[in-house]
Amino acid sequence: MESYLDKIPSYVDAIKSIKETILTNIILIGQIPAPTFNEAKRAEIFQERISQAQVDECTMDDFRNPIGVIHGTNDSKPPIFIVAHLDTFIDKDSDHNFTIKTDYLTGPGIMDNSAGVGVLASLPEIFKKLNLTFESDIVIAGLIHSLGKANLQGIRQLLSAWKTPVRGAICLEGGELGRLNYYSYGTKRCEVECKISSDTGWEHRFQPNAILILNDVINRILTLRLPQRPRARVIIGKIAGGFKHGIIALEGTLGFEIQSDSDQMVKSIFKDITDIVDGLSHEYQVEMKLKTISSINASTLNFNHPLVKSTVAIMKQLGLKPMAEPSGSELSIFLNHKIPAVTLGITRGHNYHLANASIEIEPMYTGIAQIIGVIKAIDSGVCDE
Amino acid sequence: MNNTWLEKNTFHYSDFSDLKLLVEQKEKKNLTISLCLPTLNEEKTIAKEIIIMKSELMTRCPLLDEIVVVDSGSTDQTREIAGEYGADVYKASDILPDLENFRGKGENLWKALYITKGDIIVYLDADIKNIHHRFAYALIGPLLLSDDIKYSKAFYDRPIAIEKNKMRATGGGRVTELVIRPLFSLYFPELTQILQPLSGEYAGYREIFETIPFPIGYGIETSMILDIYEKWGLDVIAQVDLEKRVHRNQDTKALGRMAFVILKTFLNRIEKLGLIQKKKEMFNEMIQFKLEKNRYMPDIRQLEEHERPPIIGVPEYCKKFSSKPQTHPEHTPFTSEKTE
Repeated sequence: MESYLDKIPSYVDAIKSIKETILTNIILIGQIPAPTFNEAKRAEIFQERISQAQVDECTMDDFRNPIGVIHGTNDSKPPIFIVAHLDTFIDKDSDHNFTIKTDYLTGPGIMDNSAGVGVLASLPEIFKKLNLTFESDIVIAGLIHSLGKANLQGIRQLLSAWKTPVRGAICLEGGELGRLNYYSYGTKRCEVECKISSDTGWEHRFQPNAILILNDVINRILTLRLPQRPRARVIIGKIAGGFKHGIIALEGTLGFEIQSDSDQMVKSIFKDITDIVDGLSHEYQVEMKLKTISSINASTLNFNHPLVKSTVAIMKQLGLKPMAEPSGSELSIFLNHKIPAVTLGITRGHNYHLANASIEIEPMYTGIAQIIGVIKAIDSGVCDE
Repeated sequence: MNNTWLEKNTFHYSDFSDLKLLVEQKEKKNLTISLCLPTLNEEKTIAKEIIIMKSELMTRCPLLDEIVVVDSGSTDQTREIAGEYGADVYKASDILPDLENFRGKGENLWKALYITKGDIIVYLDADIKNIHHRFAYALIGPLLLSDDIKYSKAFYDRPIAIEKNKMRATGGGRVTELVIRPLFSLYFPELTQILQPLSGEYAGYREIFETIPFPIGYGIETSMILDIYEKWGLDVIAQVDLEKRVHRNQDTKALGRMAFVILKTFLNRIEKLGLIQKKKEMFNEMIQFKLEKNRYMPDIRQLEEHERPPIIGVPEYCKKFSSKPQTHPEHTPFTSEKTE
């Protein structure tokens, strides 16, 4: 391991020397709107960019994930996957034109995840610049249908169709530099919908208020006793409803997520919340629906897994302080398939999910060097045990 | 009106997306190509233009030989940012400093002829929000792949930024439709086939640019078309569809001032051609009105349109380019006058 670990800091300047190519990829791909379920155009541009970089194979899988393959030198070694989700939370009519100054690149969706996708598309050029070859094939995949209701369909489909072993994987995210995800909580993302009849008959003269009912749902969720071990929590993330200030709200929705490192605990909490919703629906005599938007099973690599240890060493070699936290992203699907994987952040940023999201340009080169280091670690066999 | 030119000389950018072929032709013809970006306070867009052009048309594919920024004296970070990303940056006033100093886009383009070295020069506005390398290669394409075309001009859809982060699908091009197109229809119907005569993106051979005068301001695009048409005819011109160009929207008053200068340039040109005779000199003031404290106050702007002569007549230019062969074996010199 030491043989390449020492070299990693020297990659930073070499990567920076092709900054125009990296920034161009981020801009040209990131300026294509790609809200979830509408990523086709961005997928096409991504494929065009990796094809122009002359990867050995370039294709779309049956699910329309764009994929490039760089052949390795040893046929007996399984491939290494490097992935980034193509979709963003930004609607297609927003102005997607990026602006760039000396230190910052700004544009909607850049942190989540245009910077990750642009760097992914630049890897073939970066390998050439660093004169790197690998034993394993390197599979570069842009993933569609990842966020929210898409429930990570892109990576699920890619891995279910990939019948041969995968050596290891890296998931790329725009931010934050220093993040090291190697475990994911079991999560269930849900929505409670409350609808009240708008009939005006005598029996409806004391109409309940959808917002107050949802407020009651929240209060009752907050009374749930959640254990310290296994760790568990319910995040109330979204609420919407009503028409105007002086009118009783007849509709409302509440979005929340159950998270735990135990799938069993997620199920148990979900059952409790189902009871709360059913009870209130009966109590107020209103129509309430509890829908599951997406779910992920809990999965983890141990902290002493060689991939995690190597990644920590690489980050420290680059002066980065690893920050371990759970991730609900593509990582969990790799881990559920028993494929060792980590998620890494490319750079630091600001206004994460806003129209004026921006990334810091200079730290990005260190972020990319860390990715190269982890690819080399996997290629040297840290996931082979 | 015969519209054979429109059919023959109108292209789509995708016709030139084989960049390898363009580079082969460039090398075969032994040509060099310069990209010039005229700027005035373009710190928001300049870096993106340089980065994309450098990455795609210099590093990945050696179509451009240099990127030059000629700045009118920006008070923001334009020059610093452009230099940071590797363009050769000049202040217009520092080029040919012994000449009287003017300020304007046309001035920057004219002076760029002195400091660039390319046989072909591509001029792109520096405020293009959705810049893509097609803006350059699609204009270079007709010049390299045809032996007849010596000047190419862009046209496109023009969505405009209507408010922060929101776009309107169509719009823009108002001065074209309200001023230039009626004038062309009246005096040069053939030129109406040029769909966006005021587009700020064009490319051509040095021999063309060095032998025509350059108005220093808004009149540059109009005069350039009229002069090239008059000297060499329409067949040396091509137009290329670049699809979408997103730009800053200008208010009606600013467009009015633009129209003033363009009208003046046009009228002077057609007088020179003997098509009209003015009984008196035109004024140099554009008079608009603004409402201030319930009173209409005149808002008067001096819009004198100076014009640089063909740079081939400037001794410093001749001295600098004297050692350079005037023609290349593989491409036709411009000795013939207009034949139509």
